[in-house]
Amino acid sequence: MIYVKDLRKQYDGFLAVKGISFEVQPGEVFGLLGPNGAGKTTTVEILEGLRQRSGGEVRVLGFDPADDGLLLKDRIGVCLQQAALPDRLRVGEAIALFASFYSRTVPGEALLRRLQLWDKRDAFFMHLSGGQKQRLALALALINDPQLLFLDEPSAGLDAQARLEIRSLIGELRAEKRTLLLTTHYIEEAERLCDRVAIMDEGRLIAMGAPREIQEHALGASTIELQTAQALPPGELPAWPGLLRQARDGSGRGLTIVTTRPAAAVMEAVPWLIAHRIELQDIRIRRPSLEDAFIELTGKNLRD
Amino acid sequence: MWRALPALILTDLRLALRMRTVVFFNYLFPLMFFFAFAEFLDAHGEACAQVAGMVLVIGILGNGLWGAGMRLVQEREANILRRFRVTPISPTPILLASVVTGWLLYLPALGLLCALAHWIYGMPLPTRWVSLLLLTSCGIWAFRAIGLIVASVVNGVQESTVLIQLLYMPMLFLGGAAIPVELLPAWAQVAARFVPSYYLVSSMQNALGHGDPAAWHGAEIAALLLATGVGLSIARQAFRWEKDDPLSPRARWYLAAVLAPFLALGIWQLATAPPTAGTRTPTHPERITPPDTPSSADPAAGCGRRPPRRPTFPV
Repeated sequence: MIYVKDLRKQYDGFLAVKGISFEVQPGEVFGLLGPNGAGKTTTVEILEGLRQRSGGEVRVLGFDPADDGLLLKDRIGVCLQQAALPDRLRVGEAIALFASFYSRTVPGEALLRRLQLWDKRDAFFMHLSGGQKQRLALALALINDPQLLFLDEPSAGLDAQARLEIRSLIGELRAEKRTLLLTTHYIEEAERLCDRVAIMDEGRLIAMGAPREIQEHALGASTIELQTAQALPPGELPAWPGLLRQARDGSGRGLTIVTTRPAAAVMEAVPWLIAHRIELQDIRIRRPSLEDAFIELTGKNLRD
Repeated sequence: MWRALPALILTDLRLALRMRTVVFFNYLFPLMFFFAFAEFLDAHGEACAQVAGMVLVIGILGNGLWGAGMRLVQEREANILRRFRVTPISPTPILLASVVTGWLLYLPALGLLCALAHWIYGMPLPTRWVSLLLLTSCGIWAFRAIGLIVASVVNGVQESTVLIQLLYMPMLFLGGAAIPVELLPAWAQVAARFVPSYYLVSSMQNALGHGDPAAWHGAEIAALLLATGVGLSIARQAFRWEKDDPLSPRARWYLAAVLAPFLALGIWQLATAPPTAGTRTPTHPERITPPDTPSSADPAAGCGRRPPRRPTFPV
């Protein structure tokens, strides 16, 4: 669906994208993560045919976006971060207008019903809530029934409820086996929705793979937190499999183990507690999140 | 494109009619000028055609320069054009829709003004509606095209306001739309020949007052049509979907290109009929004849022959 090789983009001597390569397969949900200025927007805009690249090779649906921009745009759907439409344009009119731009369209009524906007079809754009505006943006992106969708920060700036609605809709698109390229600031969104993610920083791809692979690759250690009914025995604690470090809490009834082999460590810790007649009250295993991996890889917070 | 164009026109019309400012500046604003001028100049009967011609051009200038020039800039600043950019349309239908919308919005103003001028001030109804319609249309198209170039070369609403004022004011006051050219000093009468609105004002006045057929204003119509074509072509080339899109340093000079037909017309006019310093210079001096020459819309005069006539403006 998308093929990018050694993509470069230069602005007035500044190299915004420094030779990145990746591929997105049909039916895949691919997330592009990175702090502001990482080059992800530039990359996506080149793929959408909005900007010319300075070098490298790009194919989207078999088209070169630089040469076949209009043909490509006829086949893809794009949902921008900010759904910008004239304030006094009605929802139904927006659907009709955008439908006129494409060679192939789906019925507007069905689309509005699916996105729960049918009751709002006569409402002005300016009277829609943030979530409704974003649902309309998604409807406009789907008007030509695209197999490839670019979603640029689709839930940014929305309240928690609206964010959940949008994620649910994206989940539906994923279930329909559409190919999605998603840029997002929300790590949990990428973790939950994406089959693969690529992390960009300063114009380079610094990691790419399934969210779990990146987490494990970047930070191999998990943290096990044990809470017991009785105090742990004094003296030295066993060296659990893959142990990096461990520490008791102030009460003596809590133990934190940092290990590269969390499952094996648990398998040994539980019999050890039983042998010492200590009742296990609670156990928590915290695996490294994608956000941890992101911070580890870039040294930056994603919202920087 | 041809499927998108009617949808864009329909949308533009709907949006325009939902905005009070558009209704005010297309219909009420010219009428305010019309009544003020007609009363101040005591323009009744045939003389009212001169006032109607001026006021129609004021409306055309507003519709073209402010309507087209400002709307596109606002849509670009609001990222609306960015949303269009990710769809498979080119700038052409957007620009054409703007021109057609402005034209459709203005036509009722033409009928309204003629009707009011006839009923209230006794202006004879135009005998050649087609000529009048053609001149009005060419005027709207040309000034919309100029407005669209302005929209393409400015960076924001404030810059757009300044540039439009720089064009609007000379066209209003030097071109004869707000002040009859005959009342201007000699140097200004010379300068007026290079102002696009000058030709539109004089042609409209003659079409309204004397029933001039369109053929008698061939040069003016050609200049307006040329300005429309050149203007739209430049606006398409210089079109910017987003504020951050690069702007060629030469872009502002594009405006000079669209005004070139009027520069040529001005040189030709000055060569054939220079204004006389210190005296009142009629807009079409070649048509001024002794007072005993009849002035009428001769139905037989549609074969390219210009009948002589006297100026009717009550200066």
